Parts: sequence; C-alpha cells; structure tokens
Amino acid sequence: MKTLVLLSDARHPVSGRPAPTATELQAINLARGLADEVSGLHAGPDAEAARGALGHGLARLEHREIPAGHDPLPSLLAAIGSEAPDLVLAGRRAGAGAQTGLLPYRLAEALGWPIVADAVALAVDGGVLEVIQALPKGARRRWRLRLPAVVTVHPAAPAAASFALGTARKGQVGAAIGIPAPLDEPAMEERPYRPRPRLIASAAAGAGAAERLRAATQAAGPGGRVMVDPSPEEAAQAILDHLRAIGVLKPASGR
Amino acid sequence: MNAALGLSLVIVALAVLAAVEGARTARRWRIGRSARVDWRTGLAAIPKRYLVDVHHVVARDPYAARMHALAAGGLIAGSVLAALGLMPPLGHAHLFWGAVALAFLVALAGGAMVGRRRYPAKPARLSGGAFQRLPLLLAAYVGGALLVALDAASGLAGPLGWLGLAVAAAGGFGLVRQLADGPMRHALAGALHLAAHPRPGRFEGERATALIPADLDAPRLGVAVPADFAWNRLLGFDACIQCGRCEVACPAFAAGQPLNPKKLIQDLAGSFKAEPPTYAGSPYPQAPPVAGLGGPERPIVGAGALIHPDTLWSCTTCRACVEECPMMIEHVDAIVDLRRFQTMELAAVPAGAIPALSESRYAEEPGGRPLAARTDFAAGLPLPLIAAKGSCDVLLWLGSGAYELRHGRTLRALVELLRKAGIDYAVLGPEERDCGDLARRLGDEATFADLARANIATLSRYSFRRILTADPHALHVLRNEYPAFDGRYEVIHHSAFLDELAADGRLALAAAPAGRLAYHDPCYLGRYNGETDAPRRLLDRLGLERVEMERHGKRAMCCGGGGGAPVSDVAGERRIPDLRMAQVRAVGATTVAVACPQCAAMLEGVTGDVAEVRDLAELVLAAVEAAPVAQGAAR
Amino acid sequence: MSRTRRDPREEREARRLDGNARPRWRLDTPPSSSRLRRDPRREAEAARVPGAARLRLDRSGRVAGTLAPPPIAAEPIAAPTIRIIEAPAFLIAVVPDAPGGRLTPLDRQLLGAARLLSDAGGGAVLVLSFGAVDGLGAAGVDRTVALAAPPGGDPTMRTAELAGLLAALQPRHMLFPESATGGDLARRLAARIGEALFAGAESLTARLATRPAGNRHVEQRAAPPRLVTLAPDAQLPHTGTVHEARRLEAPEIAPAPAHDAILSVEDLPVAADALPLAEADFVVSAGSGVTDFELFRELARALGATPGASRMVCDAGLMPRAAQVGASGTVLEAACYLALGISGAPQHLQGVARCEHVVAVNTDLHAAMVERAGLAIIADAQQVMPALIAALKAESQR
Ligand SMILES: Cc1cc2nc3c(=O)[nH]c(=O)nc-3n(C[C@H](O)[C@H](O)[C@H](O)COP(=O)(O)OP(=O)(O)OC[C@H]3O[C@@H](n4cnc5c(N)ncnc54)[C@H](O)[C@@H]3O)c2cc1C
Ligand code: SF4
Ligand code: SF4
Repeated sequence: MKTLVLLSDARHPVSGRPAPTATELQAINLARGLADEVSGLHAGPDAEAARGALGHGLARLEHREIPAGHDPLPSLLAAIGSEAPDLVLAGRRAGAGAQTGLLPYRLAEALGWPIVADAVALAVDGGVLEVIQALPKGARRRWRLRLPAVVTVHPAAPAAASFALGTARKGQVGAAIGIPAPLDEPAMEERPYRPRPRLIASAAAGAGAAERLRAATQAAGPGGRVMVDPSPEEAAQAILDHLRAIGVLKPASGR
Repeated sequence: MNAALGLSLVIVALAVLAAVEGARTARRWRIGRSARVDWRTGLAAIPKRYLVDVHHVVARDPYAARMHALAAGGLIAGSVLAALGLMPPLGHAHLFWGAVALAFLVALAGGAMVGRRRYPAKPARLSGGAFQRLPLLLAAYVGGALLVALDAASGLAGPLGWLGLAVAAAGGFGLVRQLADGPMRHALAGALHLAAHPRPGRFEGERATALIPADLDAPRLGVAVPADFAWNRLLGFDACIQCGRCEVACPAFAAGQPLNPKKLIQDLAGSFKAEPPTYAGSPYPQAPPVAGLGGPERPIVGAGALIHPDTLWSCTTCRACVEECPMMIEHVDAIVDLRRFQTMELAAVPAGAIPALSESRYAEEPGGRPLAARTDFAAGLPLPLIAAKGSCDVLLWLGSGAYELRHGRTLRALVELLRKAGIDYAVLGPEERDCGDLARRLGDEATFADLARANIATLSRYSFRRILTADPHALHVLRNEYPAFDGRYEVIHHSAFLDELAADGRLALAAAPAGRLAYHDPCYLGRYNGETDAPRRLLDRLGLERVEMERHGKRAMCCGGGGGAPVSDVAGERRIPDLRMAQVRAVGATTVAVACPQCAAMLEGVTGDVAEVRDLAELVLAAVEAAPVAQGAAR
Repeated sequence: MSRTRRDPREEREARRLDGNARPRWRLDTPPSSSRLRRDPRREAEAARVPGAARLRLDRSGRVAGTLAPPPIAAEPIAAPTIRIIEAPAFLIAVVPDAPGGRLTPLDRQLLGAARLLSDAGGGAVLVLSFGAVDGLGAAGVDRTVALAAPPGGDPTMRTAELAGLLAALQPRHMLFPESATGGDLARRLAARIGEALFAGAESLTARLATRPAGNRHVEQRAAPPRLVTLAPDAQLPHTGTVHEARRLEAPEIAPAPAHDAILSVEDLPVAADALPLAEADFVVSAGSGVTDFELFRELARALGATPGASRMVCDAGLMPRAAQVGASGTVLEAACYLALGISGAPQHLQGVARCEHVVAVNTDLHAAMVERAGLAIIADAQQVMPALIAALKAESQR
C-alpha cells in the first residue's frame, strides 16, 4: 500500500510563517494508519513549509521545483506517474495562495481516479478503500471505492501528530526539477483582505410568514431577554419559542 | 578470644562485605552516560553538604532529624570505635568499651525512634516491606553490639557477650544485605550523590533551577531507556530513602492524579536493575496499568514499560518534591528528560498539548494569537514600543497572560503604577514572542531553543537597564534559562519592583482594607527564584491583615498551572486549584493575593466557597488610588 | 418617518458578536438607539423594485438590503403578487443543496445573490435541482429544472448532467453554495469541464466578485467566471416579491454512468447524542446546577441536541470527559447552546465563544452565563427540564 500526501507551500494563518497546514498533517496521520511509510509530494518554488511536515510523521518528501506562479498539476502528475501510489491524500485547502481547493479535483480528473472529499477515517481491504466522509452537523457517509483514488481530509479527522525534531531529522527530501507550466489566465487582482461583517440573516427571514410575525412580536427578538422566576411551564414555552425563532428547532408540528 | 574481639572482627568482616556490595551497586551506574564530575571538590565537600544542606531539609521534620542523627551517628561511631578495639591497648581498656557501649546506646535510641515511627502503624508516606524490617535489624545489630560492649566494659566476659555477638552479627549481616537493593542503599548512594551531584551549584547557594539544555544533535533526544540517563542521575535515584516527603508535597499526588514522585524515583531506580526490589509504598493514584518490564536498554515510559505516560504529564514542574527531598534528588530534571524523548522522538504528547506546541512553533505564541494583539489589553493606556524609543530604563515583558482578560487587568494596574511612579518603560509589542516556557516544560526543547534565540536576537537590538515582568515563568526563563543561550539580562518581578518603588517613596500607599489576605507563592517565583520576601514586604506596606497558609514560601503548594499541566489535563480525583483554594479558606482569608497569571487563572477557576483573587499589582494600585492625591508623582 | 441621527459605529459595536477573532455582527436585531444617520441615496437604491424598467421605489422596506428591519407584520395580509419574467435576457443557474427538498439558509442567500445578478440585466434565476424543492418562488426563483440524476450517492452522474446542462442552456453563471455538497459538486464540475471556479465569493456582481485568499490576508477580485461558489453569510436572501418558479422540462442529456471505481455510497446513521461535540449544531449542556442526569439525557434526546457538560460535572464523573465544554474540553462551533445550571466560568465561556445563540437556565441572576445568553431563564433547571420534555411531548402529540 503506497500513499502519497500532497503538501502545499503553506503559511500559518496568523503568523504568516511557513507552517504545514492542519488537514495535510491530518492526512499524513490517516495515511500512517494504512502504511508505515508515508511520502509527501510538493511542487513549487521552495519546500520550506512542506519540509516541516517531516517532523509530523512524514518519512520522505518529493519536491518538484517549478517557478512561482506556475501550475503544479503537470509536475504532480509526472511525479505520481513515477511513484505509482495507490492512494493520494490532500488537505481540504492549500495552506496559502488562492486556496480554491480545486487541485485535488483536477488531479483526480486528469488521472481518471475517483475522488472523495472530507475524509475523517480510512480503511483498506483487498484493494478496496473505505472512506468515512464528514458532512455538516456531524453527519457521516461511507464510501467504498476501488483504488487508486484521491481523497481529501476534513478538519474533524483525528488530530495530527505534534512536531518531533527527531522524526524531522530522519526525514528525507528528494528534489527534482518539475515541469514548468505557466498559467494562461491572467492573475487576479489582489488587495489586502478587509473582513466584511458577516450578514447573519435573521432566522425569521425566509422562514414562513407566521414565524416572521411571531419573531417580530417577541419582545426584543433574540437578544438579552431575561425572565425572572417564571413557572416551569412558562419557562419551557419561552425556551421552545426562542429555539424556533432562531431556527434551531423545527416548527412545532401542530401549528 | 573474647566476644569484644569477636565484635571487632565481625565489624571488619561486615565492612569488607559492605565494600563488595557497594562495588556491585556502583557497577550498575556505569551503564549511564558519562557526566562531568569534579570528584576532588565533591568528595571533600561531603561533610559540609551533609551537615548543612541535607540537614537543612531534614530538620524540617525535627523527629526525623533527631532519629537520623542518633541512629546514623551512633551506628557509625560505635562501629568505628568497636573496629578500633582490634588495637591491643584499646581492646583491653574497660573504659574504651564503655565508650563503645555509649555510642551503641545512642544508636539503639535512634533505632527505637525508627521503630516507633513505623510500629504499630506506619504513616502512608513511608514504605513498608524491607523498610519495616530495618528497625529490627538495626536493633539487633546495635543492641547486640551494646551487649558485647557492656560485657567487655564490665569485664564479665560472660555468655551475654557471646549472645550479643551472635545477634549483632546477624543484624549486621542483615543490614549489609540491604546495601545493594534495600533501605541501606541510601547511605552509600546518598553520600556519593552528594559528591557527584549533577547540580553542584545547589550547595554553593545558587538556586540552580534552570533546566539543562538538551543536546539537539544527540543521536537520541531525551531519555528513552535508563542508559540514556547520566550515571550520576542513576546514582541519585538509588539514593532515595523512600521517606515520602516528596509524595506529601506533590500537588498532583494530592489531587489523585497518577503521579507519585517517590514511586517515580523508585521505578527509575528499579529500571536499570535485573531484579528490581519490590516497592511497598503508595502507588500512583489511579494509574492505568503498565506491563512493569524494565531493563537498562528497555524503554521506561509506555503502557508496555514501567511508567505510564499519564504519570509523566501530570507533573506541574513545581519542584516541591525537589525542595523537600533530603537526598537532593532532581525529580523535575528526570521528568523533563523523559518528556523530551516522548515529545521530540515519539511525538507522543497529550492531545491537549498538541495545539499549544504547534502554535508555539509556527505562530511563536502557544495560543496561536497574533503577536501584535498582545498589547490589546492596554485599551488606551500608553504602551510605548521600544522600537520607537530605541532604549528605555525598564522593558516590560508582557508574557502570554497578556492575552487573557484576567491577567490583562493585572497588567493594566501595573502599567498604571509605572506611570504614576514616572518610570521610563517600554514594551516589545509585536516583537515579543513567547518566552518558550510551555514548550520547554512539555519537552519540546527544539521549539524552546528557536524561541529563545529569536527573543535574544530581538532583545540584543535594544538597550534597556532591566526587564520587568509580572509572569514568574517568563522571569525564570529570561533570568535563568536564557543565559545558556547567551542572553543575559537583569530581570525583576513586579513584586520586587513595586516593593522597590514603595521603599523609595515613589508610590504613596494608603491602607486599602481588604479583609484577611493570604499570599500564594508562585512556584516559579518562590521555589525557582527564592523570592518570597519582597511580595510579603510589599503586602505589609499596604496595611492589610496578612495570614500565612500552612504551606507557604518555598514550601508553598502549587496552583496546578505550571509545566503544561493545564493543557495536558490528566484526570485526577480532585483539582489542584481547588485544594489550594481550600487552604486559603482554611486560614480564614477572604482575599488571596497572587503574583502570576497562571495562579490567577487557576484559582479564579475555582467555584463555591472562594476567596477573591487579586494580583499584587491590583492591590497596590488600589492602595495608591486610596492615597491622598498630589502624592505619588515622580520625584 | 422620523429622521433621527445615529452613531453607526457605536451601533455596530453593540451588535458585535463577542468572543470571536474575526469581527461578526448581528444584523437581525434592530438597532436599539434611535439615532440613525440615513443615506437617502442608498435607501432609494435598496428600495428600488428589482427588475422594473422604470425606476420604482418600494418604501415598505421589504426589499433586501434595507437598513431598517423589515416591517414583517405587513406581509401576510396582501395576497402575494407573483413576478413573472417572460423573456429573460440570460439565465443565472443555481444549484442549491436543498437537502430533503428544503432550502438551507445558504441556498437562500445564494438565490438572493442570483436574484441581484439577474435583475441587474433582465435575466432570470434558474434552479437546477436533484429532486423537488419547496418554496422556490418566495426565494426568488423564476425557472426550475428537476434533474434526473439521483440526489444521493456517487456525484459523478450529477456532475455529468450539470456539464450537459451547462452546454445546453448556456447560463451566464452557474452558482453553487460553498458548502460540503455544493462546493464538492462545483469543484467536480470545474475539473470535469476544465473551467475556472471562483470559489467562496464574498461579494458578487455581474462585473466584480471578491473572495478571500492567502488565509484571509488577501482579497482576490475578478469579473466572475461562469462557475462561482458563494460563501455563507455574505449575501442577504431574497425577500419580497414572489417569483414564478416555473417548471421547465429538462433538456435531453445523454445519461452518464457512475464512476466504475465507486462501489457504494451510504449515509451512516448518527444520533445527535452520539455526535462529536465539536461538530454538533445544537448543544444542551449541564453544570453543577443539574442533579438528575437521566432527566438531562432524556431532555437532550427530546430536543435532538448533543449533550455537553461543564468541567465540574465531568470531574464528578456524572458525564463523560468527552462531553466537557470549555477551554480544556471542546470549543464548540454550535449555532445554539442551551446551558442548564452553568455559572459561566471564563474557561467554560471560551468553549462557547463561537456559539451564535446562548440560552441559559440558572437560579443566579448574576451568573456570567446569564449575561452571555440571548435568553436567560432565572429558574431551577431541575424543574424546567421536565417542563420542557412535557411541552415537547405535548406538541408532538398534537
Ligand atoms: C485551567 C482550567 C481549565 C478549566 N477548563 C474548563 C473547561 O474546559 N470547561 C469547564 O466547564 N470548566 C473548566 N474549568 C473549571 C471552571 O473554572 C469552573 O470551575 C466550571 O466551569 C464550573 O462549572 P459549573 O458552572 O458547572 O459549576 P458552578 O460554577 O458551581 O456553577 C453552578 C451554577 O449553577 C447554578 N445553579 C445551582 N443550582 C441550580 C439549579 N437548581 N437550577 C439552575 N441553576 C442552578 C448556580 O447559580 C451556578 O451559577 C477550568 C478551570 C481551570 C482552572
Ligand atoms: S525522592 Fe527524596 S523525598 Fe522522595 S522519597 Fe525519595 S528520598 Fe524521600
Ligand atoms: S514537580 Fe511538583 S508535580 Fe512534579 S512530581 Fe514534583 S511535586 Fe509533583
């Protein structure tokens, strides 16, 4: 069983320092459950962040050097061709750059392999991979597919191993020149990001008219209401009404 | 031939036997790594180290001190004298044997005290097994010898002498048999440990509490197997007399977490022996089961080994055990060495500690927060950046507590006081990285070293007279641990600094009534740095009713917040801060004064019948604000 | 209509959702102070009735984006007039998640964005759905096409069908929610047809879309390509005029086979009380104020919530360690947190910092949790719990 983990040239979201990204490290962790030796693959101008993954359980890193701003896909395809892994794992989004999360899909398309997103657990039995996929609100879906395949990893997967200098020192890096692939589309205009207020639409908006009416007639709507010493029944009703107003409970069937 | 001569001969024989046993014991330490030991100074210093430094610890328990002085002093004096009886003129002098009898009588009194401590019921902190036999053997040896000496002194030369000789020989043989793997090992290993102690500075008046940097180029990082310990550490483990003082002092043990420093040292002492003696003391509370397999080249930590990882991660590195240990054993060094291997080779850290270590490494801040946000607490108070000023008198080191609401209040009070006293202060602002305390205590020396180097490089760019901090952990790291990385600074804790200002009259204080107040010594200030007076002086200037808890000063109990224990979060039966808060309430204090962000956070987390938690800076600020205006301005 | 002045900064601060690194504001509550500085131009723009050729203003405030809260009471009285767009200049295709045929909040926001895009140039909103979806007209949909591929299982067939529709209908844009399902489908489609995807747009107009990149340190800006996914809570849903939501016949598209390497896809049953806390959406939590834990668990089941607890409770062994909420337990991402008998120690509150709604039941009016809560009940949790269970039971029997 040969597993390759795709590593991006990630930056720490707060400090901006080169730092492997969490889901990629979690991918290494999942891969180590399937095979003892896990290799990583990075295509890009330098592999500083990817190299950091060696301290988190990666045994070997293949680095394909390409100029900045080039498309890593051809280099990755070539490397996958020569490494011939059974399974390619990737993080959910790269740890830097455009972070579209598109690369694993393009890779799977180019390879003709199936892709499953957001894995939290993996198991292999006789060439068949079982993937447990995380869905919103804790739901889970089980996929069974024939290898080879591409799988991306969800943040709810088991936590990554912490950094260990001893492992990092033992890790090997294989470097080779990648395939230059300048992008033909024009680069997007970039500006410093300015967080915009999240528009948290009122739960009432878009819900049924009756609920909107009720939401509007409730004292101040959801926001700092205090009921002192209500009867248990009053309290229960107030809580249920509130939970409905904020959309957490489904409307009562009887109304 | 008489019984007295027999006694002399028996003692010489026992001494030879003891030497053989001793050599056998010492050979086992040779599996350890080499260590630089100044033998000449060390051996010469044994009497002083024993009589002053060890006695200082032992004397905290006056009964034990007297017991040991009588038993050990009498036994050694009597035996040496009796051996001298081989010299003809002495051997025939009745008076001489009278003196021998006196020495053994003293030893017998000591032996009786040993016995009285253990019979009819022994306290929980003491070990049973071979230790229960110790007073009997002691009584046999010194009692028998006493008979012989009395017999010789009275010139009777009767059967009583021969009977005494037989009993003394049996008891003496029993004691020597206890030398390699029994209670008597402490005598041999303890003496040598004093000579070859890994931290000789402890005997020269230094606090010597800085962790020793790990060699990051070593083929194996940290300690995995007993052979990875330096030989004098193995010697130290063998010196343990299982007195259980560390067990009593250990906050993790008290909280029912799976750590008992005494058993830990025993496990380590047993780890490099083919047949470790059975341990008959208190266990690790609620420890998950382990296989219990040891050996010089076998791993020490793990479910399949001797010590469960939970034991290791329960330690708050409070050093209470080290402070109490009469044999000068360095528990914390051993624990951190073991952690270093777990963290840096196996990446086997507790789940809760992983984010803290990762963020320390990649964001240079254990909470992963922006470095620039460290000054957010100031909310309008002027915090000049040293980058803008270039130099200042006092560089305020904010520490990771600055991100917390609770400690933010403390820091605001401190900055307010600095302003009132007209101090020329500045902060590093976004250039302040975490000092690395948490990473280091969790065994991640690599990340600590990176942080230390980065901070030292930053500090080297600015000129300031001294560093002021309200965080004893940062204080300890900057003051005591950065020198090994070539960063040497004068670092002062805010308790000492405020005391200084008050003494100079730069802060005018008025009594601010706060009810009964108890001061909780932070481990990293009191034990690690010996600073227990300045905070008390400062508090006494405030005119408060101050009471002492039973455990205070250098013997204070930990709040549970150090050593990464809060992030490791090993389950126990109780929580350490709850125990400490109960001690506060037990002396009737309604306010507990703290001097550390960790202590504040831990004690504030206690609910129920609690005392108010106030930092020294807040109390001082209240007193300054209560003082009539127009005072307190800079002179 | 009184035109008073307000301090918008202060108001925004007051509505800031606390405990979050990123600023978030609650926009559902009407501003409490009555000082409001108004921008008549913007209001007029917002009140402009969408799609009308001539400028028409609707001052009732029902149009998306008004500053004033929608006067909801006016709504149900008038019989809804349906807006019909007969000959759209172009189509904006939307592929909502609509699990179980119900639009999610993000779906509605997506339709709001699509509505604005089409109204800006006389287009129409076309929903492509796998299975029937309720309430499309009110959400601003002009046309719907029900697709043939199964809504669950292997997404390969859905991808192929969407690719075929994209070619057949040539919509100006095809929009997806940036959700687990929608995001996955959009990426599959982009990879399949080799087209650019503008992923996670936070603003979207015909000429310009923006998205965060580089760990939210840079904003990328470009004219939106055909394929766009929309980030949650970036757009307001469409409110106001109901649209036609006319059903169209799906064009003939050769059905694509499933990926032959995919052997099976099945949803696993996960009970709310077995969810990992970190992923739960609704958590009901017990503190020292709760004594009957059988009752508490029953309540959690009845509410369909995931049970949590304070450290006190976990330390006492009354709930498992994994249930602990807080700094040394789990930091929740739940939308709603119902705290029963929890004082709200700082370490505990850290665990609920990201919860949008907090409801507290506590006997102590001054507990920190009461202060944090949107609805606080000062009462004995021990008595409120059975009342809640009884009320839920009574409702389900009605
Ligand atoms: C380092 C550290 C980390 C910590 N981490 C966490 C953590 O992750 N999570 C955590 O929860 N705690 C944590 N704590 C502990 C925390 O500080 C508090 O001790 C704990 O949260 C208190 O739990 P509680 O609210 O259930 O209990 P209490 O503080 O005892 O509160 C009980 C509340 O219930 C109310 N009450 C009592 N009876 C009733 C009744 N019949 N009906 C309704 N209300 C009633 C009371 O008014 C009170 O407000 C941590 C502490 C430390 C020091
Ligand atoms: S380690 Fe020290 S304090 Fe602890 S039992 Fe041994 S000798 Fe006593
Ligand atoms: S340092 Fe403190 S917590 Fe650790 S073993 Fe010693 S006494 Fe116990």
